[in-house]
Amino acid sequence: MKKSLLDYTLKIRLPIFLFVAVLSFILTYFFSRAERDGVGYAPQQPIAFSHKLHAGTMGIDCKYCHTGVTVSRHATIPAVSVCMNCHSVVRKAKPEIIKLTKAFESGVALPWKRVHKVPEYVYFNHSVHVNKGVPCAQCHGKVEAMDVVSQVSELTMASCINCHRNAPQVLAGIPGIKNGPDNCAACHR
Amino acid sequence: MSYWRSLRELHGEQGVTEQKAHEFMAGVTDKFDPSELSAISRKQFLAMLTASAAFAAAGCTDYRDKGEIVPYTKRPEEVIPGIANYYASTCDACAQSCGILIKTREGRPVKVDGNPDHPINKGKTCAIGQAHILDLYDPARLRQPRGKENVPVRWSDVDVAVIDALRRASAAGKEIALISHAVHSPSVRRLFDDFKKKYPTASFYFYDVNNSEPRRTAWEALTGSAEIPVIRWEDANVILALESDFLGTEGITMEQIRSFASRRDIMKSPDFNRLYCVESAMSLTGANSDHRFRLRPDAQREFVLALLNEIATVRRVGAIPAEVKQFVESTSLKKFAARFELPLPQLMRLVDDLLRHPEKSLVVAGDVLPASVHAAVFVLNDILSARRLYAAETDVVYSRLSSSNAIETMVARMLSGAVAVIIHLDTNPVFHFPAAIGYEAALKNVPVSVCMSRGENETSSVCTYSLPLHHAYESWGDFHVRTGVYSFRQPVIAPLYDTRQKEAVLLTWLGTEHYSDSIYRQYLMKHWETEIFPALKRPVGFKSFWHAALHDGVIAVNEIAPPVKPFKIAAVAALPQPHVADGYTLLLTGSHYVGDGRFAGNGWLQELPHPISKIVWDNYAALAPMTAKELGVASNDMIQVTTVAGTQSLPVFVQPGMAEHVITMSMGYGRWHAGPIGTGVGTAVAPLLQKDTLMAGGVVPITGVKKTGVTYELVSTQEHHALDDAFLKDLHLKRNIICEGTVELYAKDPEFLHHERPQEMSITRNIEYAGVKWAMAIDLNKCVACNACVAGCNVENNIPVVGKDQVRRGREMQWIRIDRYYAGTPEAPTLSHQPMLCQHCDNAPCENVCPVVATTHSPDGLNQMTYNRCVGTKYCSNNCPYKVRRFNFYNFRHELSDGYYEQDPVGLVHNPEVTVRSRGVMEKCSFCVQRIMEARQHAAEQGRSLAGSDVHTACQAACPAEAIVFGDMNDPSSSVSHYRKHNLGYNVLEEVNARPNVTYVARLRNVDETPVNG
Repeated sequence: MKKSLLDYTLKIRLPIFLFVAVLSFILTYFFSRAERDGVGYAPQQPIAFSHKLHAGTMGIDCKYCHTGVTVSRHATIPAVSVCMNCHSVVRKAKPEIIKLTKAFESGVALPWKRVHKVPEYVYFNHSVHVNKGVPCAQCHGKVEAMDVVSQVSELTMASCINCHRNAPQVLAGIPGIKNGPDNCAACHR
Repeated sequence: MSYWRSLRELHGEQGVTEQKAHEFMAGVTDKFDPSELSAISRKQFLAMLTASAAFAAAGCTDYRDKGEIVPYTKRPEEVIPGIANYYASTCDACAQSCGILIKTREGRPVKVDGNPDHPINKGKTCAIGQAHILDLYDPARLRQPRGKENVPVRWSDVDVAVIDALRRASAAGKEIALISHAVHSPSVRRLFDDFKKKYPTASFYFYDVNNSEPRRTAWEALTGSAEIPVIRWEDANVILALESDFLGTEGITMEQIRSFASRRDIMKSPDFNRLYCVESAMSLTGANSDHRFRLRPDAQREFVLALLNEIATVRRVGAIPAEVKQFVESTSLKKFAARFELPLPQLMRLVDDLLRHPEKSLVVAGDVLPASVHAAVFVLNDILSARRLYAAETDVVYSRLSSSNAIETMVARMLSGAVAVIIHLDTNPVFHFPAAIGYEAALKNVPVSVCMSRGENETSSVCTYSLPLHHAYESWGDFHVRTGVYSFRQPVIAPLYDTRQKEAVLLTWLGTEHYSDSIYRQYLMKHWETEIFPALKRPVGFKSFWHAALHDGVIAVNEIAPPVKPFKIAAVAALPQPHVADGYTLLLTGSHYVGDGRFAGNGWLQELPHPISKIVWDNYAALAPMTAKELGVASNDMIQVTTVAGTQSLPVFVQPGMAEHVITMSMGYGRWHAGPIGTGVGTAVAPLLQKDTLMAGGVVPITGVKKTGVTYELVSTQEHHALDDAFLKDLHLKRNIICEGTVELYAKDPEFLHHERPQEMSITRNIEYAGVKWAMAIDLNKCVACNACVAGCNVENNIPVVGKDQVRRGREMQWIRIDRYYAGTPEAPTLSHQPMLCQHCDNAPCENVCPVVATTHSPDGLNQMTYNRCVGTKYCSNNCPYKVRRFNFYNFRHELSDGYYEQDPVGLVHNPEVTVRSRGVMEKCSFCVQRIMEARQHAAEQGRSLAGSDVHTACQAACPAEAIVFGDMNDPSSSVSHYRKHNLGYNVLEEVNARPNVTYVARLRNVDETPVNG
């Protein structure tokens, strides 16, 4: 029996096409996972502030600048006036500090690029976690080693739930830590 | 026959025939010339395309932009992003001047509640006070001053021009007219006096659409003082309300509702007060009454005289003053009852009841009734010794309203050219004044007219200058509405636009100093420092006093009102006496939610259902069912109403329980210049008003009513079911949705409600809730159905406005509603109200049917709704027995009025703690889970366990009657568990066995069940 063009198309061309399509989808999905979750996102900031220098080399406590973290849902980016506590004296001639001083004097706010973000329909409260002793690095990674801050954890629901359900294992360093709530309204409201 | 392809061809236009002669269009047949083509070849083009695509791709990162965080340059000490600050201030939405606490987040107001330290409103605000915050962010606000033909002008130019006009007017001896609402501020009074000193030809006119001027006139005639003593409502055992809506639209409603409801607290005492209503409209007060009689408003005076006759002449209680004897003796209760078809035995029982409670029974007459009725009521109260119910304090009057004569004279002067400058201080007389006065035409005759307002209005559109004002939350001020109570207003946000507050504008126009942001604050402080503070004899300096006063928002001052003088009864006879008309009467009622029309542009308020008719976005002519039959009209028919002043057409709503031959109509609607939301909503009453109507009550004789044949569509959130349908009649009682009893029945049989327990069959296992379990109790004895809870919920939970058309389709989004049920006959129904919200059932029927598990139960007993998981099948809503779930058929903010509520800066009003829902998801009451979580967080921070009393839901916080209780039902000492265990507690639709966590406390009507004679 003579093979028709239709047979050829159905038996050979179609499976190949489907295989390629599915494979490329799977590969793309797999390899772009990090990007979709924002892992590795390290945008350029209006001032090249180095956490490595401040938090790492000099060992300034996170809470010196991120003052909201123990009281508010937001960790808060420090106001320029906090930087000026030191930089009104220290390294005033450096170009980045000149930028900073200008912003302080003119009152024009600095638009920092946001690195970590959970969706609008998710409620996350820094103070609750920090006050329980959850280390900043649990979600933010070793910020004190970063010149430019980038996102380290996925910040997906799975990563939240992983901790909330297995806190004693994941956060073994905190004595007596209990699991977090895992009802919907704990985060979605 | 000729065919044609276009109109141009048909008309034989030039060129068309020429074109037709050629087969092809010009140029099509030209020779092909490659040299004329582009120099770029096909290959080159494709290469460029590829290259630019590659460059574009290389320039992209695959990361989504996450926006920016813009911190303060210098953070104000008290602001921590994410944490709310509260500031005490004073609400200026109406004359009550309630103390408020404004919640701000990152410097923007997001919620308003009452100031608990304020002695009058005690932490509560009404629906308007709650929703007023939306006006701050209203996109239709004026953003800069405008001159003639709406040309934007600068404030400095306006100042120069107006000061010049004022000086010239003063020099030429021409009048400068300033039109204001009643003043409640000592500093503003002082400012007006200063203005008058500077410009001697200035004269001030005061008016208010909703006023109690007739009562004040009567009191002044009797005692010589215009300041009326405050009534201690909570001490009254029997209250007789004559066309008075003291629970709805009249007086200090926050205090009145609280005091009234405090005598209906089953937890404290079953010794309830008793409320009689004699009225023509079906008012909210009437709906809450224990006994109600229907009487046309123009017969009220005769009714009071008949009562006087019965009490003083027949029963010989007290003595009738000789001056009113002639009026009283010409009537009797018997004659009166026969004439107006009222049941005499029940009226006699009312008299018995009044007399049974000497010093504890009170008669109140409504604001709409003329002064002569009020005077007679004051005399009657004296005979009943109701003076004992007057507190030592009085209200404080800084400005008497102008008489209608004064207004008419002013208009005549405007027409004759004697008025050179007219300044409207946040007033809108073109809309408010009776059309018969002819104000708008006269205004055009004034050379310089100024209108100060927050948004464009009817008056500003015909004035020379239209000047934008601050919102109350951007303004300074002081208020003094009661002896010994001063409250303060402070700005909580920097002005959003190039606006000023009206006091500052007037101060600038005094011409002594240039405008600055602090001009009025300095004036205010100076006035306090020099005039008021020294007399207070405080042990601290002024600065400390001032900051403490601003912090608290209110101060108590040791002031003593002069004692009430003996009555000068002769004055009563001198008051104009109303005439009882034979035909139809128009009764103007205050609007519940749009004020005098100033809140017409507030979508939240327009969409609050009228507490009785449940109609939204409209006013209407309410008629009794029999009267409607007589006129041959039904609901939604348009009728034309004619009074001696003019004619107006408006839709009919057949309202059960109204008096015959009376048409009631709510004021404040029908604005024609109120921005995209408020324009054209409802019908204006101004054309029907007589010249003196606003200042002398709200009763207008009607000369003609006729059906126009046109129909209209009124939209309500709850249809009233047919009262004569055998199946539906009293369904709410048969199904035990509403459980009611009487005080007497409860005294005899406290268990009356639970003799029959429904058999509960369960197919699910019981879940034990350890720890806190949330529950709510709603005391139907206290709830008066004022809708403050609905408005409070709207603001707290970011509820969108959907518009009239969507409400018509049943798509309103309010999470809590107040159901209204009628029982009895259409002529004399009894009403029941029931706030209905998500019942957070233990066996929630909605949870079982959700295919994506978007609605689930939390360990603390909440029925949770997870928006991001919802796919919008609406199964849950279909399976909910209480019909409390709301579906976002649209992104309503985008849908309403061309995305009006999507414009800047409306987004700022949103509560940042609550998700703004979009199209396609279901939503419902969450028991204010964001507040629960916040309380939980604070408890954890303080190292204690969460207590039920830590949380106040938004509806509970707003409720002036304190009818809503929220807390932990697992805590046996909590007030909510007392309610759950109470004899009168019941769940709606108990037999469904959904096990709701909202308990209702059955209403006890305090009906007088003593047998009537005859």
